[in-house]
Amino acid sequence: MLKGKKLNLPDRLGSLLAGFEDKDGDSGGSGSALDLGEELEIIQPNRFRSGRESESDDEDGEVQEEAMVKRKLEVDEELEHHGRQPRHQKDGSDHISVVKTIEDDEKRSDIEYEISQKMINVGKLQRIVGTGLPDGGNLRPTVWKLLLGYLPPSRDLWEKELIENRQKYAKLKEELLLTPSELARIKEEALHSNEHNNADSGTDGPLIRHEISHEDHPLSLGKASVWHQYFEHIDIAEQIDRDLQRTHPEMKFFSGESSFSRRHRESMRNILLLFSKLNPAIRYVQGMNEVLAPIYYVFSTDTDVQNASNAEADSFACFVLLLSDSVDHFCEQLDNSSVGILFTLSRLAELLKANDEELWRHLEFTTKASLMEYYAFRWITLLLTQEFNLQSILRIWDSLLSNPFGVQEMLLRVCCAMLLCAKSRLLSGDFAANLRLLQHYPDIDIEHLLKVAQDISPDTSSFCLTL
Amino acid sequence: MVLVLALGDLHIPHRAADLPPKFKSMLVPGKIQHIICTGNLCIKEVQEYLKTLCPDLHITRGEYDDETRYPETKTLTIGQFKLGLCHGHQVIPWGDLDSLAMLQRQLDVDILVTGHTHQFTAYKHEGGVVINPGSATGAFSSITYDVNPSFVLMDIDGLRVVVYVYELIDGEVKVDKIDFKKTAASTHSAH
Repeated sequence: MLKGKKLNLPDRLGSLLAGFEDKDGDSGGSGSALDLGEELEIIQPNRFRSGRESESDDEDGEVQEEAMVKRKLEVDEELEHHGRQPRHQKDGSDHISVVKTIEDDEKRSDIEYEISQKMINVGKLQRIVGTGLPDGGNLRPTVWKLLLGYLPPSRDLWEKELIENRQKYAKLKEELLLTPSELARIKEEALHSNEHNNADSGTDGPLIRHEISHEDHPLSLGKASVWHQYFEHIDIAEQIDRDLQRTHPEMKFFSGESSFSRRHRESMRNILLLFSKLNPAIRYVQGMNEVLAPIYYVFSTDTDVQNASNAEADSFACFVLLLSDSVDHFCEQLDNSSVGILFTLSRLAELLKANDEELWRHLEFTTKASLMEYYAFRWITLLLTQEFNLQSILRIWDSLLSNPFGVQEMLLRVCCAMLLCAKSRLLSGDFAANLRLLQHYPDIDIEHLLKVAQDISPDTSSFCLTL
Repeated sequence: MVLVLALGDLHIPHRAADLPPKFKSMLVPGKIQHIICTGNLCIKEVQEYLKTLCPDLHITRGEYDDETRYPETKTLTIGQFKLGLCHGHQVIPWGDLDSLAMLQRQLDVDILVTGHTHQFTAYKHEGGVVINPGSATGAFSSITYDVNPSFVLMDIDGLRVVVYVYELIDGEVKVDKIDFKKTAASTHSAH
């Protein structure tokens, strides 16, 4: 019942983004857009209108998905026409924040209800979480653990699983992360518990020499030598340290010299080092620290003290689970194979073609180069952690993790959505400008982006990898 | 875990051309944190070579060293241990444990490393350790017959030091290990 509205969806999406660009940084395009989005859900069109100087628009009371999107687009169109809008309308904003809080509360109680069941219905949880987790209520750590499969759906088994996994982790650390001298010391203490002490504290005189094998000394070049392996991993450890210094430099949690952030970096270091030792085929690849960061952040900010103190062990397990289906992307030898990154990129291209042939054609042919490798590589392998700030990443990952068809599937859809949302700028840009745009993806309303992604037809029948 | 390489008495180029190739293949940069050298290198090229293995290099002067500006003795603290370094030709009788013990008390160190005798020894004495890494090239010595090339690598880990002794015997590298724990009570007080 919308009268006289234009329905050229793709164009509007492009101009939507452009519209945000026009607003200055401090008002934050995404912020006001969110307000608008919320406003549209209110079935009080007059109230909404009263706050703005705009031409009268006929409103209907229905709040359908498509209608919402279209109306939002028109509102933004008005914004463009009317220039800067003050960010908070006097009446509108109070109303908005109240509604949003009510919604959040409802969602929170829904989720809490779901996870308090004895046998959790993961499918239902996925559906709710797909629209995003509310910030309060400390739901994210538990929900993510459930969605990743770390916690089993049966609530009774949680305690046992957690303890078991944490113990396993501690044992792994002991085996693989000790320096050789510590290992030697522990071995010795086990063997000569009494003898040595007596000998030491006793007589002066020549010290006893013990012959040792060729593997057991620090300069050993033997492959099986503990020392040799240790020194080989020193390079990796240094690389990990360097990358950790650069993780989220704007956040006190990760960067800086406080003992707080140092401790976190050390935990992350252990996790990444352990991962590299357990996976000699891929070892450590730059960027894994970025994938680990949100997981570790969410788990250590769990208000449950026990969970927070075991964040390292839980993060390790969940990190492994998360990477399990995309780990092949990191392996160079597999690049050209059917599980490698190039295949995934071609899937993304196909998805784009299926959804917006004009844009696809432009990117593929007019710019005369396969742009995908330059920007989408990073989007996909690092699960979009380098493109947005942490809060946005958490929200996006809510959707990624709750997709019933898997993380990778949703990831491709989000990437496609990112391309669609930037369409008008991409169409008007040449190779260099487009590359710049896509490598520094502009700020965008995350809810909107995810909505576009949801709307993309999954086409999962052909894209779902058989496991 | 700090690795400290102790060696000396190379006498390059006068009495030996170079380190034994088997030793050289083991000594690669990146593993060792400190090098302490008792002296008698004798030329600058040897110092530069040692510098490539590890930037933190300490040398004391032996009687045949070209470089006259090395100190006679040196002390440094690594981890919980105080190490003392001296060539040893100054301490007479050469290689005598009691005289070396005097030097150890004078420098107030836990581990004293000296050379000159071209013979590996390691003694425990009054709560401290006196180590002689021998000659890394197996150079001729007028006081020791049948010199085997040898050097020492110390792994300092907290209050415990593991001394790895590398000796070239009959063309083969033999590695031995010595353990030493510093008891917390054994701080050297002035007698």
